[in-house]
Amino acid sequence: MEEFLAIEALIILLVLVATLVAIAVRRVRLAYTVALVLVGLVIAIRRPLDIEVTPELILLLFVPPLIFEAAFHLDLRLLRDTLPSILMLAVPGVLLTTLFVAGVVTLGTGLPFATAVVFGALIAATDPVAEVAIFRELGVPRRLAVAVEGESLFNDGTAIVVFRIALIAAVSGVFDPVDGFFDFFQVALGGMAVGLALGWLAAQLIGRIDDHLISATLTILLAYGAYLVAEQLHVSGVLAVVVAGLLTGNLGTAGASPTARSMIFNLWEYLAFIANSLVFLLIGLDIDLSQLWANLWPIAVAVVAVVASRAAVVYGLSWLSSLGSDQTHIPVRWRHVLFWGGLRGAISLALALSLPVTLPNHDMLESMAFGVILFTLVGQGTTLQWLLRRLGLIERPGHVVGRERYMGQLLAAQAGMHRLDDLRREGILLDKIWQSLHADYIETRSSLTEEMDHLFANHAELERELLIQARREALQAGRAALMDAFRQGLLSDEVFGELRTDIDRRLEAMALIEAAVQSRQLPRQGEGE
Amino acid sequence: MKPIVCATRGGEACRRNQERAIDLAKERDAELIFLYIVDPSLVGPVKESLAEVLNDEMARMGRSLLRIAQGRARERDVVAQVAVRYGPVQQSIKDYLREVGASTLVIGTPRAGTPPRIFTPTEIQRFAQEVYEEMGVEVVVVA
Repeated sequence: MEEFLAIEALIILLVLVATLVAIAVRRVRLAYTVALVLVGLVIAIRRPLDIEVTPELILLLFVPPLIFEAAFHLDLRLLRDTLPSILMLAVPGVLLTTLFVAGVVTLGTGLPFATAVVFGALIAATDPVAEVAIFRELGVPRRLAVAVEGESLFNDGTAIVVFRIALIAAVSGVFDPVDGFFDFFQVALGGMAVGLALGWLAAQLIGRIDDHLISATLTILLAYGAYLVAEQLHVSGVLAVVVAGLLTGNLGTAGASPTARSMIFNLWEYLAFIANSLVFLLIGLDIDLSQLWANLWPIAVAVVAVVASRAAVVYGLSWLSSLGSDQTHIPVRWRHVLFWGGLRGAISLALALSLPVTLPNHDMLESMAFGVILFTLVGQGTTLQWLLRRLGLIERPGHVVGRERYMGQLLAAQAGMHRLDDLRREGILLDKIWQSLHADYIETRSSLTEEMDHLFANHAELERELLIQARREALQAGRAALMDAFRQGLLSDEVFGELRTDIDRRLEAMALIEAAVQSRQLPRQGEGE
Repeated sequence: MKPIVCATRGGEACRRNQERAIDLAKERDAELIFLYIVDPSLVGPVKESLAEVLNDEMARMGRSLLRIAQGRARERDVVAQVAVRYGPVQQSIKDYLREVGASTLVIGTPRAGTPPRIFTPTEIQRFAQEVYEEMGVEVVVVA
């Protein structure tokens, strides 16, 4: 009982710290996940918590929801153009990274090549969480964010499979390349098959059961179930979750009611927030600075190896894929982001923790992994924003900023006028003062309206965007009014459900229209180079 | 006088397109019709239960855009009609031109350097040529 209470208190404490960090980062220019690692590190130095971060904890509890959520939200339509290049980075790219890192680490530290390959594999998986959080905050093109997430999702699966094969070879001292090749495909394809089967089953059930609570529960069962079933069958759990998430997110929810869909999306957004918060806090808490200090040279070698291999793989393979087709190549500016944004996180941490203690140089390998994770999250993670600005990927067009400015000024003028009217009604403001001030506001408003009209004359698409935005807000207001009427008992369950479903469908239709309008305003791949 | 049809979708070129159509209607003292085509295929495939509201919302957006255009024409003393039709954009425009026996079609093309919306500039030129050759309707492409 006491142990249970201690665990509960610890979870509450971790969530509390994560929440406080989330509040604090709103005021500082630092990615949430990076801030969590730093806070975890500070706590670990000042007052270490009694937490044992096991690989099972990360791989069984946190990885399935993190991967499922990312796959579930990944819009394959946006990934279509760059999919061949992304798969090239995620499969041959991971194999090349593994070998490149292993080579440099062997040369720099004297580790046996077989052991260095284990390190190369565990550090090959990129983690998009910190990077995508920065993207969302800064409004980076959606297609770029999707490319980064896509690469990461697929390379997680590849890296874990390669890691297992490399670990068996390092421990047993025997490696047959032909067997290794077949093992790789067997584990990878097996995992995908499990994800496909379970994802299809869940999608069918979600489409048939019109109950938002059961549908949401099914997705949780799917995320954890696909992982467990695949692992039981000795195939890739991560790839099973990736495929199951992609299937339900892109096809499965199509049959669900809008209410169920909205519930599932909100649920997974929240679960991913909690899982991410705890994982990155635990990374910080689990870092042993004295161990890192003792292995400073191997860590430095590992960092150089990881950064150099990322550069070689991203630029080399992107260049190769650009030779094939003009339509599928990754724009040059995106390559810089893919290179510097190759952060490492939860998967590398879990794999490093899962290294058997009997493996020679275990401590050194673990320190190297932690050192690289820390360097990429803090060093690269904090400078990514600068890079995005330098590359002009977060600059919004002048006319969009202009519309925003006019809107803001117009809203402020409207509020000012309302306040003046109130003061006059309350008898605080004399009529003649009100008249003089009011006339001034009317003039400001009409000149702003004129300027906005002039802006719309040159950029008529802004007018359409405003129209879509206004319609969406009107629908949301209608939805809120229905909820109020239902709570007050003015509407029966049946009528409320029917009307709410109609509004939800309309909101969904507006989101699709908006996405279609925006995607047509985005340059296609390769444009803007 | 046969009517002038101005096909509009609210994109970057639509304001210039509408102004040009209003100018032409004034010059020729012709009837002006603003046309909006609801083509859900531009949004991509959607499930059946959503198709109806998607059509409805697109038509609603179209009507709003057409009312704005109509108001602009009114400000310049031109009385304009509006029409919403459903189907693939190019075919629906052609069908409508036949339906009203239009003399002229005014259609916009994005400025150089801006990404294409529905048609690329080349496609618009090809479409304009096709309309002229098939139906003898004058096509004014506003850049």
